[in-house]
Amino acid sequence: MIPSISLHRQNKTKKISIPVLQLFLILLFSPKSLRASQELIPNPNPIVSPSPIPSGDMSNQKKRNFQIEAFKHRVVVDPKYADKTWQILERAIHQIYNQDASGLSFEELYRNAYNMVLHKFGEKLYTGFIATMTGHLKEKAKIIESAQGGAFLEELNKKWNEHNKALEMIRDILMYMDRTYIESTKKPHVHPMGLILWKDNVVHSPKIHKRLLNTLLDLVQKERVGEVIDRGLVRNVTKMFMDLGEGVYQEDFEKPFLEASSEFYKVESMEFIEACDCGDYLKKAEKRLTEEIDRVGHYLDGKSEDKITSVVEREMIANHMQRLVHMENSGLVNMLLNDKYEDLGRMYNLFRRVTNGLATVRDVMTSHLREMGKQLVTDPEKSKDPVEFVQRLLDERDKYDKIISTAFGNDKTFQNALNSSFEYFINLNTRSPEFISLFVDDKLRKGLKGIADVDVEVILDKVMMLFRYLQEKDVFEKYYKQHVAKRLLSGKTVSDDAERSLIVKLKTECGYQFTSKLEGMFTDMKTSEDTMRGFYSSHPELSEGPTLIVQVLTTGSWPTQPAVPCNLPAEVSVLCEKFRSYYLGTHTGRRLSWQTNMGTADIKAVFGKGQKHELNVSTFQMCVLMLFNNSDRLSYKEIEQATEIPAPELKRCLQSLACVKGKNVIKKEPMSKDIGEDDLFVVNDKFTSKFYKVKIGTVVAQKETEPEKQETRQRVEEDRKPQIEAAIVRIMKSRKILDHNNIIAEVTKQLQPRFLANPTEIKKRIESLIERDFLERDNTDRKLYRYLA
Amino acid sequence: MGNSKDRIKLNVGGRIFETTSTTLANAGRDSFFGALFDDEWNLSPPKEDLFIDRNPDCFAVLLDLLRTGDLNVPANIPERLLHREASFYGLLHHVRTSKWGPFDGNRLRLSDSVKGIAPGDGTAVRAGPDGGCCVAHGSVVHVFDWMLEEHCPINLDYQRVNDVGWIDSDNIVLSACEKLGRGDGGMGLFSSSTGDLRYKFQVCHENQVKSYTAGALSFNQDYKIFSSCKGRSNEYGIGVWDQITGKQTDFFYESPGWSLGDADKLQWLNGMNCLLVATLFPRKDNCYISLLDFRDKNMVWSWSDIGSPMAIDEKRVRDAIAMEDSNSICVVNEFEDLGFIDLRMYGGSVRWSSRSRLMKSKMPDEPCYPKLALHEGQLFSSMNDSISVFCGPDWVLTSRLRRSYGGSICDFSIGGDRLFALHSEENVFDVWETPPSPII
Repeated sequence: MIPSISLHRQNKTKKISIPVLQLFLILLFSPKSLRASQELIPNPNPIVSPSPIPSGDMSNQKKRNFQIEAFKHRVVVDPKYADKTWQILERAIHQIYNQDASGLSFEELYRNAYNMVLHKFGEKLYTGFIATMTGHLKEKAKIIESAQGGAFLEELNKKWNEHNKALEMIRDILMYMDRTYIESTKKPHVHPMGLILWKDNVVHSPKIHKRLLNTLLDLVQKERVGEVIDRGLVRNVTKMFMDLGEGVYQEDFEKPFLEASSEFYKVESMEFIEACDCGDYLKKAEKRLTEEIDRVGHYLDGKSEDKITSVVEREMIANHMQRLVHMENSGLVNMLLNDKYEDLGRMYNLFRRVTNGLATVRDVMTSHLREMGKQLVTDPEKSKDPVEFVQRLLDERDKYDKIISTAFGNDKTFQNALNSSFEYFINLNTRSPEFISLFVDDKLRKGLKGIADVDVEVILDKVMMLFRYLQEKDVFEKYYKQHVAKRLLSGKTVSDDAERSLIVKLKTECGYQFTSKLEGMFTDMKTSEDTMRGFYSSHPELSEGPTLIVQVLTTGSWPTQPAVPCNLPAEVSVLCEKFRSYYLGTHTGRRLSWQTNMGTADIKAVFGKGQKHELNVSTFQMCVLMLFNNSDRLSYKEIEQATEIPAPELKRCLQSLACVKGKNVIKKEPMSKDIGEDDLFVVNDKFTSKFYKVKIGTVVAQKETEPEKQETRQRVEEDRKPQIEAAIVRIMKSRKILDHNNIIAEVTKQLQPRFLANPTEIKKRIESLIERDFLERDNTDRKLYRYLA
Repeated sequence: MGNSKDRIKLNVGGRIFETTSTTLANAGRDSFFGALFDDEWNLSPPKEDLFIDRNPDCFAVLLDLLRTGDLNVPANIPERLLHREASFYGLLHHVRTSKWGPFDGNRLRLSDSVKGIAPGDGTAVRAGPDGGCCVAHGSVVHVFDWMLEEHCPINLDYQRVNDVGWIDSDNIVLSACEKLGRGDGGMGLFSSSTGDLRYKFQVCHENQVKSYTAGALSFNQDYKIFSSCKGRSNEYGIGVWDQITGKQTDFFYESPGWSLGDADKLQWLNGMNCLLVATLFPRKDNCYISLLDFRDKNMVWSWSDIGSPMAIDEKRVRDAIAMEDSNSICVVNEFEDLGFIDLRMYGGSVRWSSRSRLMKSKMPDEPCYPKLALHEGQLFSSMNDSISVFCGPDWVLTSRLRRSYGGSICDFSIGGDRLFALHSEENVFDVWETPPSPII
């Protein structure tokens, strides 16, 4: 666009011819420019065209100055300068690669490189450096290729070190280019470029690429099968991959390495699993895992650790998880049964590494626990002895506690699985609450003698653990109350502290309400002691003769048992009357009724040959024995009439007096195990015992009899009714309107800590509340209940 | 003291210098000396006479710079020559950091004045991160490096530049008016050294690329670019782009009656994680200031002078800046009265501190609107031919930067420890620097 205009202008003025002449003369001095000048001679116009002056409104004078300056600049630079300088630098690069750099002048080379960039030959310098280096690297590649066998890696490593040294020197020389030319053109810097060239010309050269990888993988394989390899060399080579960039390391080494490892472990794990049992297999897997981690530490990039371990985990564990766990005779169940803590710990640590690993272990453990527990609690043989039964539960629990704490690292999820399993099977047996209470009873009666306080606490804590699993805590409460009552009344309780400690535990677990009655029982015992002291001090005349010890039990606090009346011997009934009048005299508005079925008596007896014994008997037995003070021989009927003890009680009482070997203070005619209506009884004059004191037990099953059990059950059900109702009312009072399903859910939730409420029972209670106008059904939606204030 | 092992003898352009390798090590690895010495800063192989074919006078200055960290240039050495020599040795960075100290608004000295060749009416001056700056006027942006050497200008072919901003010392973002019928305009990324267009940012509405006019710019630490945008079919709002991918990541459409697309000022608030958008009189009849939270597309705070019972001409807000530390927004009117709005209250009013009423009497012929800037707890406001510096919790006036030449200041910018003030007449811009720290 411009030439036509300028041509036009130049024709107008002649001044322009002078600079052209000057220009021509100068150009003659530089032969290289001759070609250009020849073009200039015939047509001077193009001189104007390369100048970037917009043709606007500039004067001719200005234009002329501009042209001359432009040409001066071009002439000053020696056209061969760039080539010459580059030759110097190229020669230097060659020398550096030939390890002959000692004679080079750094200052000179730096200055030359600087000058090239300064005079805009940066591009030439850059491409030249790349070309020269490429040439050298191609040569090196050839040498490496020709190396045989084991020398291959060493040669590669040697050449790599040489290249690195050379690259460092070249970078120093070309530093100015690095800083300015490369910076502004955004090309790769000298050092990264040197690495790229090495990668492209050496590592990725077709004859080296595959061979290098195979050599490395071979070495790893050799080490895996136990040979010793030159780790330092492998380390240097993998370090080279890392230096070439993370991508190169991953693509050229790590990925194939992981694939090869995966293949190796796939085969190996198949071999192992066929040949070994679970424990051995796990040991081998663990060994392999630590080996691989070691390998990473010795000659791989730290980032590979997770990848290679995940390969081992996948091939050796995850893929065989089910088979390992269920392995016959050595799988998880076997380990659990045989307390193989070490194997279990190993399994936990290995399986933890893979997804679903622990879940698998946990599931198997849970199902095993449930199966085992179910057998334990439902086996009628095993539930014969409650103490044994509970002790077995505790043992199992201890066993698994230990497994979880030593082998499973106290894993919370395992603890939860253990708890839920116990909760599941303990409640399979409806008598578990009773048994647990009996176990405590047994411990507190006799079991705790000679055991330190700390151990007592431990046992009680364990019992509390079982207690927590119970769904029907109120049933336990019922039984516990009965058992405490028996213990207290018979004075059998061993340690008051232990009793109280357990009550405190129950209180923290279930709240004040749960234990208030139990505490009431203890208070009653205490006040009774005081009352007795008061009674005897107000009746000093009673110090002679029989001693009566009365325990006044508050109705409601104690498990109510039907008061079985009986005719007390005259000596005793007089005393009883005295106490009654004393007690009612000190307390107004109270009623006393005698629970003769719960008392005991110590009586002194003299037998035929003068043997003196003190007999410890129940109140009923005392009544029977006292009859023999007046007659030698009594029939069953006579005894029944005289004492008015109900038949079953009487039979039991007589049985224990007449039929128990070594304690048969009376004789029965005819001799037989059972008591008949027509039997006759006489005092056994030949009774002997090596003890002065003889305790005549009552033939009572420690466990409840079937009807008793039914009765307890019924009482529990009866007690639950008001609790359910109270819960319903509490909920409705706050919610006002609620549908049926939600009430059931909420009530169940509220009562959870005490018992598992039966939905049909809840429904019945709702009906009853509706009848009593606490609730009403919604008129439109019958499923909705409304609270009536 | 026979520590001759450390001693180095240099012959620079014929003059002998003796120094130690410890001194030369101050140049760092990425320098001529770093390349000359080995990793332990020993000369290998040792040489008796090390010749360097450079200017000895300049080397003396640079050697002193390495020895003391101070730059003292004798009058007989042109600055350009010194910079050239420093560039040879790889010491340009050392020269730059020794030239001026850390920025303090109360210690600023005028260090240079650069006369532009363009006619007046500069749009904006923006300080670069390393001490350079760029000046936009009309459709051209002139770029200066920290040596105040001008590089190739960025020429937008007669599209008006609205705002400029530095991404880093090598990349500049320009926002420009859309040219009707050409579909150009919008935002572009340019090289600061060559002026080449590197990338064009696009706006998509409903998956269609639309042409737009880009206004004020702002950046945040998350490599996001914000710009006010006006599209052809009323697609007004604030666009967000990713600096790394260059892709549009978000668009906040303006709600009816609230002007975002016309915004004069955007400011990213790091602590509150939102963007301040201010549209000011007289671009619109009213002023709108709002804070946008892009995470849930919510306007979390807003203020407008619609319906304010003010004396119309006196208290129009001409610039606004959020000050996160004091939970307020500072505004300024055309008489350089500062006002403050509480950010903690929604819809609060401006509390004006009428400080400069006296100014009213001597308004220059060609006034420029005041501008505000905040830098490390110091508040700057430009008015006429001076810049005031305010400090402390009550924003007390502590310094005033004034130069009588060049007319009113139409824009100023702080960055790279320098303050650049652009004058409305003849495009002169002043460079203010904090002198290096005193010796004792």
